[in-house]
Amino acid sequence: MTAPPLTMLVIDDEPQIRRVVRNALLSASFGAAEDPEQPKVRVLEAATGTEGVDLAASELPDLIVLDLGLPDQTGLAVCREIRRWSAAPILVLSARHADTEKAALLDAGADDYMTKPFSTVELLARVRAQLRRARQVSEAKAPAERVVLGSITVDLALRRVQREGEVVHLTPTEWALLRTFLLSPRKTLTHRQLFTAVWGNSEGDAQQYLRVYVGHLRRKIEDDPIRPRFLQTEPGVGYRFEPDAVAEA
Amino acid sequence: MPGLGASPGVAHSRTRLTDWLIWFAVLALATLAMLALRTHLDKAHVALVYLLVILGASGAGGRLLGLSVVAAAFVMFNLLFLPPYYTLAISNPLDWLVLVTFLVTSVVAAQLLYRARREAQEAQDRAAEVDRLATLGAETLNAPDAHDGLRQIVEVIRSTLGVDECDVFERDAELARPTASARLSRASSALTPVRTGEGSLVGWILQSGSRAEELVDGTVRLSEDGKLRADVRALAIPLLVRGATVGVLRVASAEGLRQPPEWRRLLDALAYYAALGVERVRLTTQAEQAEAERRLEALRSALLTSVSHDLRTPLTTIKGLAHEIEQGGSTDSASVIGMEVDRLNALIGDMLELSRIQAGAVRPMVVVDTADDLVGAALQGASSVLRGRDVVIDAPTDELLSGRFAFTESLRVLVNLLENAAKYSPPGSPIVVRVRRDADWLSLSVLDRGPGVPLAERDRIFEPFYRPTGTPSDVGGTGLGLSIARGLAEAQGGHLWFEPRDGGGSVFVLELPSATIPDDDNDSGDDEGDIH
Repeated sequence: MTAPPLTMLVIDDEPQIRRVVRNALLSASFGAAEDPEQPKVRVLEAATGTEGVDLAASELPDLIVLDLGLPDQTGLAVCREIRRWSAAPILVLSARHADTEKAALLDAGADDYMTKPFSTVELLARVRAQLRRARQVSEAKAPAERVVLGSITVDLALRRVQREGEVVHLTPTEWALLRTFLLSPRKTLTHRQLFTAVWGNSEGDAQQYLRVYVGHLRRKIEDDPIRPRFLQTEPGVGYRFEPDAVAEA
Repeated sequence: MPGLGASPGVAHSRTRLTDWLIWFAVLALATLAMLALRTHLDKAHVALVYLLVILGASGAGGRLLGLSVVAAAFVMFNLLFLPPYYTLAISNPLDWLVLVTFLVTSVVAAQLLYRARREAQEAQDRAAEVDRLATLGAETLNAPDAHDGLRQIVEVIRSTLGVDECDVFERDAELARPTASARLSRASSALTPVRTGEGSLVGWILQSGSRAEELVDGTVRLSEDGKLRADVRALAIPLLVRGATVGVLRVASAEGLRQPPEWRRLLDALAYYAALGVERVRLTTQAEQAEAERRLEALRSALLTSVSHDLRTPLTTIKGLAHEIEQGGSTDSASVIGMEVDRLNALIGDMLELSRIQAGAVRPMVVVDTADDLVGAALQGASSVLRGRDVVIDAPTDELLSGRFAFTESLRVLVNLLENAAKYSPPGSPIVVRVRRDADWLSLSVLDRGPGVPLAERDRIFEPFYRPTGTPSDVGGTGLGLSIARGLAEAQGGHLWFEPRDGGGSVFVLELPSATIPDDDNDSGDDEGDIH
């Protein structure tokens, strides 16, 4: 049986960048490694935000590559508009390096971002990661009951964390953080998203110490908290939970 | 004369009650004494003694007391010393002459004394005023900082005029907010702060050059000279220097302004000093701006020189290699193109960052964060140059150290220090990252066994495009790293400096404000504590 074709949408006003991205996407393979039948890739291109939103609505692409410097509207607005009705991963390209911009984009629903200039190797790696994540989300909504992180076992149902059979004490805040991370593997969670997940929409003193709570959590579940395997820092943006690190270790 | 120095402003001084008691007592005593000796006294003796008392009272107590004593003495002279005694009638018509002469002499003497005293007091007041103005002038010119000078002037104006509030608004500045203000502490709640609507009033005064008054009921109207109203709460006048309006002075009192003529004159004189103070602030600001622009210009030209070289070199390489590939040359060239692009990208990033720092556009987002996170992210950020290097983390393991800093900016500093350490120290030597915390500061040091920095160059290494003498040209980097690092450290209230390392090598210390974390208040709770 042949895999369904993958549709990808590239929104960028620079024809040269569109060309580079299109060629990279067309030449790559996105199926599972052991699957001999690679899905066909179809790449759509849009030069303006409006055109991009229209194409995203009519063609329902599996993934969107969005440039921020569009002539007609801001990338942030396009991102927000598409996210209102589409769950397709959005990968943002930006020439600016401001972290506040990155965080704002992720808060608006983007899944990943890359700064220009970027290498096509890195672009493809990120596209693959996003496709894999999207597949996992659609296949398995319910998270596993038990998650193993190196020598740590987390039992979500019993709310228990054990290191080699011994119970590790977590404060309620640390537990809420850990749970949030485990529910969104491989996804960058912005500081704001973590605030909301742990404390809701209320404003409080505790929030300013979010990074400290993550520090405490790392000291409890990571072997080396300075070189964390599971809770990775995205400088200026937030944190990302990487269960894959287990396989690589 | 006792009362003289003690009561300022003779015209309005009220004679103290004690003066009245004393002088009427003196009058009574003199009268009693003379009554006892009446048979031995001549009318002239009585008149002279009374005159003496009148002169004393006029001199000490002022006009009203003087004239009252005159009246009392006149009546008593008539009643007690001019026959027939104990009536106001006078038997000898010549006595009328004595009495009238006595009265006229007394009144004239009292008036003359009073006037002389008032003039002396006025001269003294004026001397004090001149003194105050001279001090104010000296302060205007002497304060090392022009803004401080203006603040002092405003405070002196407030206390000299005896008003609750005094504000100075500067032309060209944000008009809604005064450049300098003085407030009487007790008046803080009595008068509302300058309302935003008044910003436009200030603007209007600047344009028209007129005075305006604010009445007790809050209405504002043009101030008419000479016409004094009792219900004026605030007065705003233009500040003039050489005919040009440079700002506005506003004085206000919750209980209304009393504006006697001297007060107005004093206000005008003081306003001139405020005008000079504002002018000085304006000139200083201009000079500072010019200096900042000059420095920026110097940096810009240094940048341009370096940029044209550092940007064009990789571009030339890329162009040459692209041509080679076009001609069917080896595809190895492609990886060199990639490296040159990275170099260009790093340089462009550094130049943008430095210009942002120089322009004061870096606004670091300072939050409470941990040293663990910062060091970890820095090791990851510098991982490409640290590959194969031994990096030792020297940090307390039992405590999570934290500080108040901007994560990405601090990360950039630390990555830069690690890259430098890797670049300038022998490959086999370990690089140490040391983390320490004291009451106020969280310090992160990077220690290497490189050549160190000669004493003479210790400050210069933080200048843009500086490279230590004898640096090989292939060492890479843009020459902007340390100046950016120091700029970023200082922009968030931290410090960055160099120290020689014992046994050779360099120590670069990044110092950031430390933070004390309250205990996780949830910590006391049970493991199965409620989270939802």
